[in-house]
Amino acid sequence: MTTATATRGDERIAHVGLLRRQLVKPEFGALVGALVIFVFFWTQSSVFVSSAGVANWLDAASIPFGIMAVPVAMLMIGGHFDLSAGVQVATAGLATGIMTTYWGLNVYASLVVSLLLMLAIGFVNGYLVTRTGLPSFIITLGMFLGLQGVNIGATKQVTNKVTVDNLNLVPGYQFLKDVVGSTITIGGGQFPIAILWWVLFTAIGSWVLLKTRFGNWTFATGGDPNASKNVGVPTNRTTIALFMITSAMAWFVGNTLILRSGSLQAQFGVGTELIFIVAAVIGGCLLTGGYGSVIGASVGALIFGMTQQGIVYAGWDSDWFKLFVGVMLLLAVLANQFVRRYAEQSRR
Amino acid sequence: MLRRVPRAPLAAALAVVVLASACSSANSVNVQHNKAGGGKGGYKYDIAVVTHGGTGDSFWSIVKAGAVQAGKDMGDKLTYESNGDPNTQSQQIDAAINRKPDGIVVSMANPAGVKAAVQRAVAAGIPVITINAGQAESKSFGALTHIGSDEGVAGQAVGTELKKDGAKNVICVVQEAGNVSLEQRCAGVKATLGGTITNLQVDNNNLPGAQQIISAKLQQDKSIDGVVTLGAQVATVAEKAIASAGSKAKLATFDLNADVAKAVVDGKILFAVDQQPYLQGYLAVVMLTQYKSNLNVLGGGQPVLTGPNLITKENAAAVLKLSAGGTR
Amino acid sequence: MADIEVTEDKAAPRNDTDAPLLEIRGVTKAFGSVISLADISTTVRAGQVTCVLGDNGAGKSTFIKLLSGVYRPDQGELLMDGEPVRFGTPREALDAGIATVFQDLAVVPLMSIWRNFFLGSEPTKGRGPLRRFDAEKAKQITRSEMADMGIDIRDVDQPVGTLSGGERQSVAIARAVHFGARLLILDEPTSALGVKQAGVVLKYIVQARDKGLGVIFITHNPHHAYPVGDRFLLLKRGKSLGDFAKSEISLPELTRLMAGGAELEQLAHELEREGDKSGALGRELLEDTKTLG
Repeated sequence: MTTATATRGDERIAHVGLLRRQLVKPEFGALVGALVIFVFFWTQSSVFVSSAGVANWLDAASIPFGIMAVPVAMLMIGGHFDLSAGVQVATAGLATGIMTTYWGLNVYASLVVSLLLMLAIGFVNGYLVTRTGLPSFIITLGMFLGLQGVNIGATKQVTNKVTVDNLNLVPGYQFLKDVVGSTITIGGGQFPIAILWWVLFTAIGSWVLLKTRFGNWTFATGGDPNASKNVGVPTNRTTIALFMITSAMAWFVGNTLILRSGSLQAQFGVGTELIFIVAAVIGGCLLTGGYGSVIGASVGALIFGMTQQGIVYAGWDSDWFKLFVGVMLLLAVLANQFVRRYAEQSRR
Repeated sequence: MLRRVPRAPLAAALAVVVLASACSSANSVNVQHNKAGGGKGGYKYDIAVVTHGGTGDSFWSIVKAGAVQAGKDMGDKLTYESNGDPNTQSQQIDAAINRKPDGIVVSMANPAGVKAAVQRAVAAGIPVITINAGQAESKSFGALTHIGSDEGVAGQAVGTELKKDGAKNVICVVQEAGNVSLEQRCAGVKATLGGTITNLQVDNNNLPGAQQIISAKLQQDKSIDGVVTLGAQVATVAEKAIASAGSKAKLATFDLNADVAKAVVDGKILFAVDQQPYLQGYLAVVMLTQYKSNLNVLGGGQPVLTGPNLITKENAAAVLKLSAGGTR
Repeated sequence: MADIEVTEDKAAPRNDTDAPLLEIRGVTKAFGSVISLADISTTVRAGQVTCVLGDNGAGKSTFIKLLSGVYRPDQGELLMDGEPVRFGTPREALDAGIATVFQDLAVVPLMSIWRNFFLGSEPTKGRGPLRRFDAEKAKQITRSEMADMGIDIRDVDQPVGTLSGGERQSVAIARAVHFGARLLILDEPTSALGVKQAGVVLKYIVQARDKGLGVIFITHNPHHAYPVGDRFLLLKRGKSLGDFAKSEISLPELTRLMAGGAELEQLAHELEREGDKSGALGRELLEDTKTLG
């Protein structure tokens, strides 16, 4: 602790060792959990660690979970949820698809318009949350249900079907597919380029959170909005920006999905919003805001991807799939909690 | 963070982008130019369709399209409601009964759950036709007839075909946990295949995830030589999973959509078993109309089977043309 | 409580210029039909501490919000350096040099000391999209500013939540001083603290005063106010009970005024009549009020 004496305190810092410093980081628990799960499935199946296997579960971890876990974690650190994040992914992809393949817009123009649309959705979420002071849980639940209806309603209205497809037939598709949907073959495994995007977004997200003013404001807004407001942090703008970042990332993921295969189903994304939140929580984000890590959230998504695919590699009965996932996630969260408590104690 | 950007230049720049890219027909690959026209029968009956299909399900959107088209063709007034929860579906049936329609069409995925509501409709003197699911119970609940496809029969057809092609180790991809008719399909395949068949659970709402899971399964067990999917959308991702896993497994699927028809044409999917959902919706409305106006009952109340209809390389191209309109 | 020692003679730069740093003249604020503050006047000079005393509901928080730019007065005016001023927002008040340390201290417990220190006014380096929070500079300034206040921080990375109440207060005060506050408003900084911690905070108040800042010290405890205050404004139910220079009032008088004088005596007698334990308490209270005059 601090004292009012004038002695220089450097010798007291010395015994806070490297390990302890790692322990207090929010993502530490998730890293340990990821390692345990990796080793566990390694013992269950050799295919799991083969090049093709790794490519497979990294793909599952990156799209949509890993990339979306980044903004969802930032939003959660800022003190809010976005339950509409999953269906927003579908909204973004469907909008691009419909505008291009039905309305004849150039695919690049469609991408720009759908980005504006997504930013508008994020703005509405953020504005309603800051304006009404209602829990974001309720506001975004409304957005979730509303967009779910729009996704299916609008898609059926325009297409007579529940998928938007054939985007792969439009001019300019191939280049965009190369950018977000190509694969790199390493040792026989086809690694989707989305993994690189995931790593890049995680790095950017982490940098923004830890090294910029906006990041500082995010922690502050989630930690204590009143105190933050009192020292001049633009908490409302920060909150709205965080919701808009979430929607912008949903735009990226949704368009990656439709650009990969040329088609996207209208009901995509329902249920995934919870997995984003789970990834963030495993990664050390507090549900109440003000604390957490983007890297941790990405590791959380990695855990989810490894578990989901690992169950198949282990050859377990897939009827029980959800149970395995649930147990794995609970264990990861508990381990995380344990590590954090231990770390907190080491602080005192 | 929210730096103020001069709005006018931004808007102008955007307008330029949008206009420059102005609607070229090369982009609008999905626009239909030959819309099927609808005649007017002028019967003016009031018919309610209440199904268990999810609103986002491509199969049920075709059933609905069939029913709606029949309503137009017959000149009937048609309503369509659906809910996967038998309790809510019963409430929807009750709501329909209350407006005293001339006929009700019901799908019975959970016969016991909607039994009371169906019987209330029959007791109220409203003719009921069951479609798609609930063939066994249809008669005893007092329905005029049942229009659908027998899941077991369809599954056996798939098993027979796969056996001909030499598949011995097959996975059956189940996209909705706990759906009885999907399990019946897999059981039907098993009955005639004569090899091993393993069920694999995936999530219909996350098809990219389903692709990853199928791919993982194929990597894990290299001896798998056949994949059966139980829905058209899953078939498309299974096709990609087979390619990405470098597997030689043959793919067959239940149900049909444009992608599946195209893949059958291209030889990427061996065949598709279609139960012709459009007919289920269309015929039910037509038959109710004919019953009301002329007391006709097709087949004397015996179940009317709309499938299985095998789509193979030979006939897929013709079907493909129709699938873009949302009727196949 | 009265045993808190604060040496007041050390007060170094008392630049008694003509115009006070802040003058409050006949300020009134009403919310609908409820008059929160009626005709309040006092002054704060640079290098001096003006204490605002009052019980719960006296109008202290309305008073703070008027000064910090949250509310605008209905009548009366504020003068800074003799010039009338009007604050539309808290930011304007802050820019004019009025820094308020609220009871919640405006610190975020989960964040580190240095992040809290610069919260809302982060120093940056780099350009364009690479513009970032200059963490090294922030840490270094935090350490030196805290040391200036006589507080040695072991680890500026420590979350503020792990600090004691007095230490948190010191972070908030050091922060206000660093960001060029000329007038520091402290909202009940000692109320939630034990005797020792309260003493530490009083020391920081004196230190800020000695740096030449004007300080408005809001409290309900005359024992905390008297040793550090140069001027005392007493509030009761939105009205002023008086605005005294230190020479015009003694601690006992201040306490008596605060407690409501006759009312307190009455209470003491009532308590005396009841059972043994409370009787003892009553006698104590009565003696207290007698000695206080």
